[in-house]
This record gives sequence, C-alpha cells and structure tokens, in this order.
Amino acid sequence: MSGGQGGVASRAADARPATGGPGPRPFGAIVRATTRALLGRRRTILVLLFLLVPILLSLLARAMPGTEAREEIAIGLLDNLVVRVVLPLVSLLIGTAVLGAEVDDGTIVFLLVNPVPRWEIVAAKLLVAEVVTLALLVPVTALSGAILVAGLPGVDAGIATGFTVGVAVGAAVYVAIFVAMSVVTSRALVLGLGYVLIWEGFLASLFAGTRNLSVREYTLSIAQAVSGVDITAGQGIAPAVAVVMSVVVFVGAVVVAIRRLGSFSVTGGG
Amino acid sequence: MDASSLTGAPVELIGVSRWYGNVVAVNEITFSLAPGVTGLLGPNGAGKSTLLSMIAGLLPPSAGIVSVEGRPAWRDPSIYRRIGLVPERESLPGYLTGRGFVEYAARLHRIRDPRAAAARAIEAVALEDAADRSIGGYSKGMRQRIKVASALVHDPAILVLDEPFNGMDPRQRLHMMDLLRAMAADGRTILFSSHILEEVERLGERILVVVAGRLAASGDYREIRRLMTDRPHAFTVRSSADRRLAAALLDADAVFGVELTEAGLAARSEDFGGFGRSIARIARSAGVTLFEVVPTDESLESVFSYLVRR
Repeated sequence: MSGGQGGVASRAADARPATGGPGPRPFGAIVRATTRALLGRRRTILVLLFLLVPILLSLLARAMPGTEAREEIAIGLLDNLVVRVVLPLVSLLIGTAVLGAEVDDGTIVFLLVNPVPRWEIVAAKLLVAEVVTLALLVPVTALSGAILVAGLPGVDAGIATGFTVGVAVGAAVYVAIFVAMSVVTSRALVLGLGYVLIWEGFLASLFAGTRNLSVREYTLSIAQAVSGVDITAGQGIAPAVAVVMSVVVFVGAVVVAIRRLGSFSVTGGG
Repeated sequence: MDASSLTGAPVELIGVSRWYGNVVAVNEITFSLAPGVTGLLGPNGAGKSTLLSMIAGLLPPSAGIVSVEGRPAWRDPSIYRRIGLVPERESLPGYLTGRGFVEYAARLHRIRDPRAAAARAIEAVALEDAADRSIGGYSKGMRQRIKVASALVHDPAILVLDEPFNGMDPRQRLHMMDLLRAMAADGRTILFSSHILEEVERLGERILVVVAGRLAASGDYREIRRLMTDRPHAFTVRSSADRRLAAALLDADAVFGVELTEAGLAARSEDFGGFGRSIARIARSAGVTLFEVVPTDESLESVFSYLVRR
C-alpha cells in the first residue's frame, strides 16, 4: 500500500506546472474552443440551410417575367425576408449558442473556475459569434441583392450595397443582444424569438418613438443612407440616430453580458 | 462576525447561510479547513453541493462570509489560481478529447506548457490510455477522473471535489483515494463531499457532517464514528411468541424498551453488537423461536437525524 501511495505521491508532485511567467492570454484558446463547438452543432447546419432561402427566392424573383416594379420587388424581398426574418433569426441562433449552450448543459462551470477575467470570456465569445454571423449574413445579403438588382435598367444597384452594410450593422447589434440575453436568462432562445417576432416584427415599427429602439429600423436607416434609395417610404429614423443607437445598444449589451457573467452563480446540482 | 474575524485559513466559513426563496439550503454554518483531507458527509439534499459551490466562488452566500485564503470567494476569479473544483455534474464538452479538455483548462490557467501540464495531470488520474478518445464516449468513472485531471492541471493548493467517487469502480476508487491522500501529504487542503459514510471514513482525517443545511457534527472521524454507533438502535423482531420474548429481553437487561406492534416486536437497545449476540441466547432459554431480527433504523438518514437531535 505504501509503495503505491509513494508512486502516486511523486506523480502528484510532478503535476506542478512549469513556472517562469504565465503563458499566453486565454483569449485565443476560448475563441478556438468556441468556434469548434459552434461549428460542430446541428444548429449551425440548420442556419446554413436557412440561408439558402433568400438566395433561392431572389433567383425566383429575378427569373419572373416582366420588368416593372423591379426595385420594389428587390426592396420588398430584402426588407421582408432578409432584414425582418433571416437577419434576426441567424443572429439569434448563433448569438445564443456561443455562451448559452454552455449555460444550458452546465459546462459553463469549467470555464468559470479559471482565473480568466469575465470581460475576456465575453469578448472571445462575442468575437466568434460576430465573425461567424457576419461571415454568413454579409455574403448572403450581397448575393441576394446582386441577383435582384444587378444589370437591370432603371434599378439602383446601390440597393444591394445599402442592404449589405445595413445587415452587417444590424447583425453586430443583434448578436451582442443575444449573447447578453444568454447570460441573463436560461430561456434566451425562446425569449429572443419573442423579442424578434413581437417587438422587432410588430410593435417597434408602430410608433415613431419606438422606432428608435428597433434594430430593424437601424438596419433599414443605414441601408437607405448608403444606397441613397428611399427604402423606408419616409418613415425611417435618421441615419445619425441609427448609428448612435446601434453603438449604444451594442455597448450596453456587452456591459450587461460582462456584469452578469461576473456574478453568474452555479449550483452543484446535488 | 465580519471580515476582520478571518484567520486566513485555506477555507473559512463564518455564519454562512444560503436560501433560495423560502427554502433554506445552508443554515448558519461556521468552520475552517486546514491542510489535509476533510470529508463533507451528509444525505442527498443536505446542502453539500450548495456549500461547495459557495466555497468555489460559484454562488454568493445569502448571509455570512465564505473566504479562500482570507479573501471572499464570490466574484473574485483570481481565487482559481489557488483552488481547483471537481463539480458533481457529469456534463462535459463531448466534442473534445480528454486530453483536449485538460489542455484547454491549462490554457485558461495560462500555464506555459499546457501539453506537459495536461499530460502530468492525466497521468496522475491514470487515464493515459483513454486520453485521446472523445469525452462523449467516456464512462462515468472516466468522466470523474478527467474532471479531476482538469482541476489538478494548475497544481492548486486547495482542491474541492463534489461526490468524486460517484460512478467509480472499487479499483478506481482506491486509486483516487491514494491520489487525494498523497496530495494532502503534499500540504494541500482537500475537501470532498459524499453521502456514503464508508468513503468519508476511509479518506477523511476530519469529517464535517451536514444534515438539512446545518452542521450536525465536525471533528475527527473516530469521534463521529463513536457518536454514530453509541446511540439507541431499533430492531424489529418476529418470533413464535413475541410477548414472552419481550419479557425475557427486558428481564435480561438486553434492551431498554420494547413495544408490541403489528409487524412484531419493536426493541430498542444501546448496544448494536451486543443485542445481536444476546438475543439468540435469550430467545433459546425462553423457549422462543426467532423468525427474523431486522435493524429498523440503520439507514444513513436515521444516523444523521440522530446526530441532529443530539
């Protein structure tokens, strides 16, 4: 018995890490692990399938006979399908996955029991969510826009660029909101869906005052400013307001996420 | 009781309570841990995990102070340089290999050579053979061991383990006990929880008994063991003549109380072993045939509730 113990004792003593200053910051390790976990999820495959919808519908719209109202069709499709549905839902699925998946299955505890500043965890998770979301939404929006407007006489090709820039800003803000939501509540996916459908899809656009609190309105306002085409039919918010509010909401969401993760409590479950 | 009462012990709790709404999970607990192995014993739902979560800085106390080496544990990630936690939860990132999981922990701790540190920690839990397999396919015992390896990777001075022997086979259990003993001999503070008395008895030099959120007993395990055995024991006896046997038992001073019930004879004795030895002799001399002698309150819960009432 004592011999066995001695063996273990020496091994336990060996388990001391190399001293001589710390290794690199954990930011990169969290980014790599999060990317791997995110890309391995079934949810991400679902998102990819979902992204084919605007491209296919754009091809269909372009193939339809008749040359009238091409601009209205393009704006209608990009607004109603991309900005209203695809943008918030893709942001929701990815934004709530980067931290929310670990919160849901309890493995967040292995991330929290490390001397990593909470801002660094949020920053790494947010970076992955933003990069993946933008990498998916920006090309899909640009491609759909190009299919709908490129080379058509009398149609402003700036619509595609405008929507692409608008969607990029909207995605950045949405993802920050959903990352924060996944730290605040364990039902982020359901609540996020409610927020997208009820607030963004319906209530926020009802009144001039609430438009200032809608990511969809920021997206459309920026798309309009960049393209120079009247996308909102004179109902939109000023581009300056859209930009400032996007920054305010983004920063606010990040601050909430960091603060909530800093006081995130976990019970052992026993 | 305030922060000035802290002594700087590895782990210290002063008047700690934790409640969830109206439910009190931990009630006014005070203790401190010194280097060595301490076992936290209690039935399921006694508040062990809540206590360990608070010590590991994952849960704020509702009242009182929880400190690690003199600093409040809550909202201070720097304590994780000194403390390692093995949570009870079995969920692990299934997309990683065992080695990948431990290396990730090493990187989060900013260890210079995460590969070497992970290899050493995996060796310490004797999981080298399975280290490169995906955690998704690990058995319960392997999951326990890889969690321990991940908690050891930064060589913590304090190790907190929630039900570490769950799911381990006897050989793995012995190995883990040896490892924890060796780490304690190295001057570390080890706190582990269990609802199984034998585990705690074999490993814990000191024992804390928690029942219904309260600290029911604490101290040397021999002392606790004595408290647990020198208590009234209840037996249910079925025989060919319960009434005659009852009289004979009382006559022989083998019991201090008997009661005739529908299930048979309910007897209470202070001497667990003595009663078992003498009842057969007493029954024989009284001409009574014994059908069954069953200790009725040997569940751990009854031992615990006795300690609480005491």
